[in-house]
Amino acid sequence: MANFNIDAKRDMTYDAIVIGSGISGGWAAKELCEGGLKTLVLERGRLVEHVKDYPTMNNDPWDLELRGAASAAEMEDYQVVSRSGFVGANNRHFYGKDDENPYTEVKPFLWIRANQMGGRSLLWGKQTYRWCEQDFTANSEDGHGVDWPIRYADLEPWYTHVEKFAGISGQALGLPQLPDSHFLPPMEMNCVEKEVKKRIEAEFPGRVMTIGRVAHLTEPLNGRGKCQFRNRCDRGCPYGAYFSSNAVTLPAANATGNLTIRPFSIANEIIYDAASGKATGVRVIDAETKEVIEYYARIIFCNASTINTTQILLNSTSDRFPNGLGNDSGELGHNLMDHTYRVGATGKFDGFADQYYSGRRPNGIYIPRYVNLDEQSRSDEFVRGFGFQGGAGRASWGAGANQEAFGADFKDGLMQPGPWEFFITGFAECLPYHENQVSLDRDQLDKWGRPTLKIDCEFKANEKAINRRIRQDAQEMLERAGLEEIISFDNEHEPGYGIHEMGTARMGRDPETSVLNGTNQVHAVPNVFVTDGACMTSSSCVNPSLTYMAITARAANHALEELQKNNL
Amino acid sequence: MERRTALKRTALLAGASTLGPSLLSLLQSCQPASRLDWTPEFLSLEQADFFAAFVDTILPKTETPGALDVKVDLFMDLVFARLYNAAGQEQLLADIKAFDERCTDQFGQTFANLDGGQRTEFLQAEETTNAKYAPQVWGTAVGEQEPIGFYRSMKSLVIWGYFSSQEIGQNVLNYDPVPGDYRGCVPLAEIGRSWSL
Repeated sequence: MANFNIDAKRDMTYDAIVIGSGISGGWAAKELCEGGLKTLVLERGRLVEHVKDYPTMNNDPWDLELRGAASAAEMEDYQVVSRSGFVGANNRHFYGKDDENPYTEVKPFLWIRANQMGGRSLLWGKQTYRWCEQDFTANSEDGHGVDWPIRYADLEPWYTHVEKFAGISGQALGLPQLPDSHFLPPMEMNCVEKEVKKRIEAEFPGRVMTIGRVAHLTEPLNGRGKCQFRNRCDRGCPYGAYFSSNAVTLPAANATGNLTIRPFSIANEIIYDAASGKATGVRVIDAETKEVIEYYARIIFCNASTINTTQILLNSTSDRFPNGLGNDSGELGHNLMDHTYRVGATGKFDGFADQYYSGRRPNGIYIPRYVNLDEQSRSDEFVRGFGFQGGAGRASWGAGANQEAFGADFKDGLMQPGPWEFFITGFAECLPYHENQVSLDRDQLDKWGRPTLKIDCEFKANEKAINRRIRQDAQEMLERAGLEEIISFDNEHEPGYGIHEMGTARMGRDPETSVLNGTNQVHAVPNVFVTDGACMTSSSCVNPSLTYMAITARAANHALEELQKNNL
Repeated sequence: MERRTALKRTALLAGASTLGPSLLSLLQSCQPASRLDWTPEFLSLEQADFFAAFVDTILPKTETPGALDVKVDLFMDLVFARLYNAAGQEQLLADIKAFDERCTDQFGQTFANLDGGQRTEFLQAEETTNAKYAPQVWGTAVGEQEPIGFYRSMKSLVIWGYFSSQEIGQNVLNYDPVPGDYRGCVPLAEIGRSWSL
């Protein structure tokens, strides 16, 4: 890969500044650079170049002293993110340290951060689902939150645009509640998944089980290799098989010659000019030297990730905007959402003992929403819906801990795959509540002297009602699909575990109740665009990243058009 | 002390710049023989002897290597030293002591000094009284997790140390670092043993 231009000293002025280089920032950079704009990407962490900076990508368990676990000393700075259960010696370097993102949990909230080039695009689950028409009309139909200023039709061409470049694998189904993407070939289900699918679809008319739709290449694309089924994604993929900014969008942006990326650049505030009514640039703190530097541009894209983007906007105060840039509505910081997580059921499948699989598939199965789609599927208990992710596999040697046995036969038995197991876990849509919010804490500063955040968020009655239904349905589906020894569960996780933070600078039709317009421009400061999760007006029940990509590409192309017309 | 072991121990210690008091007293008094031929980072020699006996009972040598062959006891010592925090280490030492005390109550000897039949009898009782692990989804236990007792958590560690070792992972189980594709239904007979990764 060509080296990235990190010489941001040469020029202080650009056509565009993009704050953040994760999933949405990478897309903004690509679209703006390809549109001919000299673009500066501000990244608060270090550079992570594709392949070169994936030091653990080929580690086998025995290559590390603790076989992939991180020592107590190594985890000392990662107490917050380690609550997720995902952090170890092989991926620790892609997670944010506690002192980089101090925040106060007014109510329990897990904030998973990744402070380096590529952000969480290196770590994400890669499940990619289009939102549907109903997702964009739900707020206006049931009265929770404000109406989206866009509809599915507005995004449809942009979904196609980003899918063709990102590479999405999946099975087309023609379901209105889960529109098909532009698909690469689907991954395969294993024996038990195929059997369970058959039984669930026979037992429950209207319910469908499909292979997960994922941003993994199942065929080579634009010089990227296909998935090798190693399932070591969160260390960085040497083949570039999964979508990340590092492997996909930033190299494309770089190829235009228009990209400059400045690492260790904490965007502290957006500079507002009252005379023109526009933002003129970004005030940056160098994370290493603490030097304060100003960069200027005609347009600014905020893609720092949901909560960080809003932190920057809240911290961008002026006489015109004493409560944060573009916060005329008072909604900036409010309506924080996530999906519920780890509620479902697991069981054992008696059969297919002579069948196994080969390869480590970084994907599972998906059961799309089937509740509250129409009058017939309407629930009296809650509004909105949920979907399930899950999968089947054969128990491995780890299951030996629970067997009431030890000794020679026990050891030899563990060399063989154990019983088949199948699980599903639900993701519930979360309503936008004004009182679920982030706010600046000017009394507690971070190590750069910036106000920290207070996060005050909780799931409420509707989410809890959906979770009860998820658990009940999961148990019932597993029973009727013939699973045994079923255990249903609800870990009652606080928000944040879904790592799908959305909202806090929502889009809307009315400047009095929303922060952004229908093309993601701050209502009162139209040359500032917010296209990460902060812009979301509702949360759907499907994973949001693909929608961030589409919204970003759409807004970036709108910005290009407006610049051409001299409207910005 | 058996001569050969004593020589080995002395050779090991000769390279050490400082000797902990427990090691010194052990040498001086020539306490009951330790079977150890390595120097633990965290455990005392006596505790390391306990784990040597424990891992050998859980996963003995058959036509495939046993836990001692792939140095699971060394791995556990490392885990205690590096992975456990101070509170966990303290609890561990108390648990080892309590475990051996129960052993001594029942058989008049610590676990390491029991014969094979006695070890089996003792561990079988532990199997029935120790809580089980709750199922996991994406790396975290789901549902209610009863506190896991010393026996089962140590057994779990033995299994982890054994199957994540290079010898077992590369030469005993099926090792395929770059599968290249995913096939969802393959006759087990075509594959044989479990995949190691």
